[in-house]
Amino acid sequence: MTNNSNNGFNNWQKSFEKETKKNLSDANSETDEGIDIKPVYTKEDLENFSFVEKHSLPGQWPYTRGPKASMYTNRPWTIRQYAGFSTAEESNEFYKKNLESGQKGLSVAFDLPTHRGYDSDDDLVMGDVGKAGVAIDTVEDMKILFNNIPLDQMSVSMTMNGAVLPVLASFIVAGEEQGVDRSLLSGTIQNDILKEFMVRNTYIYPPEPSMKIVADIIEFTSKEMPKFNSISISGYHMQEAGADNVLELAYTLADGIEYVRAAMSKGLDVDDFAPRLSFFFAIGTDFFMEIAKLRAARTLWAKIMKDFGAKNERSLILRTHCQTSGVSLTEKDPYNNIIRTSYEALSAILGGTQSLHTNSFDEAIALPTDESARIARNTQLILQNETGVTKTVDPLAGSYFIENLTEELSKKAWDIITEIEELGGMTKAVKAGIPKLKIEESATKKQAKVDSGSRVVVGVNKYKNPKEPSVDVRVIDNNRVRDDQIKKIHAIKQSRNTKAVEKALTNLTNAAKDETNLLIPCIEAIKLRATVGEVSKALEQVYGRHFAKSLSVSGVYGKHFEGDKEFMKVESKIKEFENLNGRRPRVLVVKMGQDGHDRGAKIVATSFADMGFDVDMGPLFQSPKDVAKDAIENDVHAIGVSTLAAGHKTLVPELMKGLKEIDPKSKIIVFVGGIIPEQDYEFLYENNVSAIFGPGSNIIESAEKVIDLISDNLSKE
Amino acid sequence: MELVDKIIKGERAAIAKAITLVESSKDTDQQISRQLISELIKKPGKSIRVGFSGPPGVGKSTFIESFGSYLVSQNYKLGILAIDPSSQITGGSILGDKTRMVEISKNPNTFIRSTPSRGTLGGISMGTREASIILDAAGYNFIFIETVGVGQSEIVASNLVDIFTLIVGPGSGDELQGIKKGITEYADIFIVNKNDGELKMEASKTAADYKSALSYYKKLDALEKQVLLVSAIEQTGMEDVIKTINQIIDQNKLKGIFDERRADQLEYWIEEEVKNIIASDITKRLASKGNIPKYSKKVMKNEMSMYEAVETITKDTLKQ
Repeated sequence: MTNNSNNGFNNWQKSFEKETKKNLSDANSETDEGIDIKPVYTKEDLENFSFVEKHSLPGQWPYTRGPKASMYTNRPWTIRQYAGFSTAEESNEFYKKNLESGQKGLSVAFDLPTHRGYDSDDDLVMGDVGKAGVAIDTVEDMKILFNNIPLDQMSVSMTMNGAVLPVLASFIVAGEEQGVDRSLLSGTIQNDILKEFMVRNTYIYPPEPSMKIVADIIEFTSKEMPKFNSISISGYHMQEAGADNVLELAYTLADGIEYVRAAMSKGLDVDDFAPRLSFFFAIGTDFFMEIAKLRAARTLWAKIMKDFGAKNERSLILRTHCQTSGVSLTEKDPYNNIIRTSYEALSAILGGTQSLHTNSFDEAIALPTDESARIARNTQLILQNETGVTKTVDPLAGSYFIENLTEELSKKAWDIITEIEELGGMTKAVKAGIPKLKIEESATKKQAKVDSGSRVVVGVNKYKNPKEPSVDVRVIDNNRVRDDQIKKIHAIKQSRNTKAVEKALTNLTNAAKDETNLLIPCIEAIKLRATVGEVSKALEQVYGRHFAKSLSVSGVYGKHFEGDKEFMKVESKIKEFENLNGRRPRVLVVKMGQDGHDRGAKIVATSFADMGFDVDMGPLFQSPKDVAKDAIENDVHAIGVSTLAAGHKTLVPELMKGLKEIDPKSKIIVFVGGIIPEQDYEFLYENNVSAIFGPGSNIIESAEKVIDLISDNLSKE
Repeated sequence: MELVDKIIKGERAAIAKAITLVESSKDTDQQISRQLISELIKKPGKSIRVGFSGPPGVGKSTFIESFGSYLVSQNYKLGILAIDPSSQITGGSILGDKTRMVEISKNPNTFIRSTPSRGTLGGISMGTREASIILDAAGYNFIFIETVGVGQSEIVASNLVDIFTLIVGPGSGDELQGIKKGITEYADIFIVNKNDGELKMEASKTAADYKSALSYYKKLDALEKQVLLVSAIEQTGMEDVIKTINQIIDQNKLKGIFDERRADQLEYWIEEEVKNIIASDITKRLASKGNIPKYSKKVMKNEMSMYEAVETITKDTLKQ
């Protein structure tokens, strides 16, 4: 530092300290990622970089500034809204409306039974058909889904991981029967199974065969579908599950490394498939951090791919889709979500994403309506057309702060990637449950910050709206959808050549025993009208179904509340309860049906335990009947049902019935938490639910309500 | 007692409530539970109690899921008492055992109860013993007691069961030297899990290590300790486990060891309970007299030695 600039800085520091009455050294703030943010950055903060190259250009090594030289100045990002619900017919109508209103690409959401490889007529999936996405049972559904949407012109992204084989096969066959050759199909299949084991839980088979399926798809698409992205390596669901940005970044890239290895083990050259790998990140509310994350991701990926020996420049470039954060949306004061989503969208754009989904403001409550979907889409149209953000490539480059943050994030993520490599790669780490546990720890910390008020969420823990607006939501008649789907399945099973289908399924089972590519026999079976469920079962015969081990963190939540009055109040109520009743209050926390999003359930379990409850955790994918048996055998006082996929209207009454069947005098109370539209509250209360906790509920307050309800209930005896 | 009839009929809710009673720390509950147990022991079932222990991470719950599935497929009724180790010193606990027992927890012929260990030794308390009496009366053929291996606790657990089983992982043979002599003495069967995939070789080697090490512990009148290889994931070796359990039980019954062991265990529990009552009485007396802080201060000020303090307090507490 020259004397001159040194003097300048010293003068600034003096003024700063005078204004704030604080030492400069005490003025930093720490992010969730453990990065110290300083009140001011200077030229000095651009020194000693090991990842970011200060004078790089867009579309050039190390691609920090963007995958293309021209970026949005030539063509803006793709507005790609993720949607799907109910039947293929209804989703098709919705897609066509959206495309007419300025949306450019499609992104299909499938329902949970499809994800988990069950047909709509399977008893296990009663409550989930058509709820959180569209139900696809056969190629006929897929054809209806894209009716009048020419697949040689429309790029289609499909969020599918578990049942990736039958779904991709259905897409290929639907294209062919539309007269479109598979080589002309463009779009992306998510095909990212590792993160399913970490956070989203919509897997079917154990990790190893699942990785083989991923590699099969990469191999097939690299040879036969040159315009199709074989995988979308996703950090999105990690952030949604509570991961901070460093964890999201590091684990996503580490997953990427593992997929590259899996594909190379099939004898492919890295440049054969690497250009068709794509990524998917979440964009949350930490504005600058999110921008830096996308820049860091490109920087690190280029380095990683170079180490793999990639020679084609396109192999080095990370292209990504982004989605604004669903978990940042609140049920309280829901119009605030429009504003949150707007800032998140701007972050994604300044970070240089290739395509973007903006969430609808009502998604913390239910599936978007036509109106809320329109506002979400317009958020992007306004950015593209009114704000001028498309006119300059990577406009924040050279900012002391942004460049420094990009470097810091890269460094921290690189350390974690190195750690995973030392463990033997992501498949091994995932099997050991390490990433899952780290993400849960991070999630619990974040929740504690909100509940303790040290992190402000407007309209939730501060500046509450005294007059909560009521919002119209989309209602799915789950039973009607299920009946429609069952009729369609029956009709197809009647008209198809059953012998040929059986033979095709046997071939598929045999292929799973060999090491051959599974997509080819899968396409054959789907062509003959085998169902998604039948195909999945044919493979299950060889691979089995995977059940996850569940590990839990403890003490992380409670640590944030040492000396907190509200926390101690609940603790002492629980102690009092224990003295009076000879044991602690005992609560069973469950997920029912096919919904695998267990962040909420895990946070409730660990924080309730920290307050003094004994918490039983049920396995994922339990039926209401299993939950009832579990609850009664352990003589719990209460059951907490976590629901995020709209299955509660079917599953909760079933649970109540199950409890009464085993014990007609059962006094176990039931409370429900998660995404529940207000319109459903009355229905649930009528079904004897004792309390409902929506998104953004304060956990300590919820716990107090639960212990009070339990005590009241016991005193009635 | 109405509850007794319901338990004998096998009513799930009644069994559950009864276990709550025997685990309760409330005086009135304890009185009822004493009455209940004295009724129930008059109507004993024929169940075999099997203990499973082992260090964390060897796949105990996964093994129980696998072995239990095999047993219920053979039409046995199975009760499981899982002592969950994940307790904290403060606060409550997270009981996650059932997340690893997905299939058997659904089966109508099982009853699975998790108990938080509450900081006691491996979680074994009087309650666990009473709970096994309840499940016995309710007609369960096998009662599994699962504990986590933390040294001493295995010895307590082995005093609750007819057969004690230690589950270990591949590669643990080297640690055999370090395993307390007690455990190897108390265990009847050693199960080497994870005999699958890449670990197969290692598992066989471990089993061989155990066999050779255990040959030193042969008891004169008991069966040789058994070492078995299983894979919980692939569900292999399960027939061997049940065959071995039945063999040992038959032999022990024939030689009278079975009853002898139950009698020894009874002595152990009576002694434990008497000690508990005396200890809790003494603790109350100590607290009410306030001698410890008083004399501790004197020791701190060098007015007396610690030994003198201990002697004085002991004399004062015991006299009455």
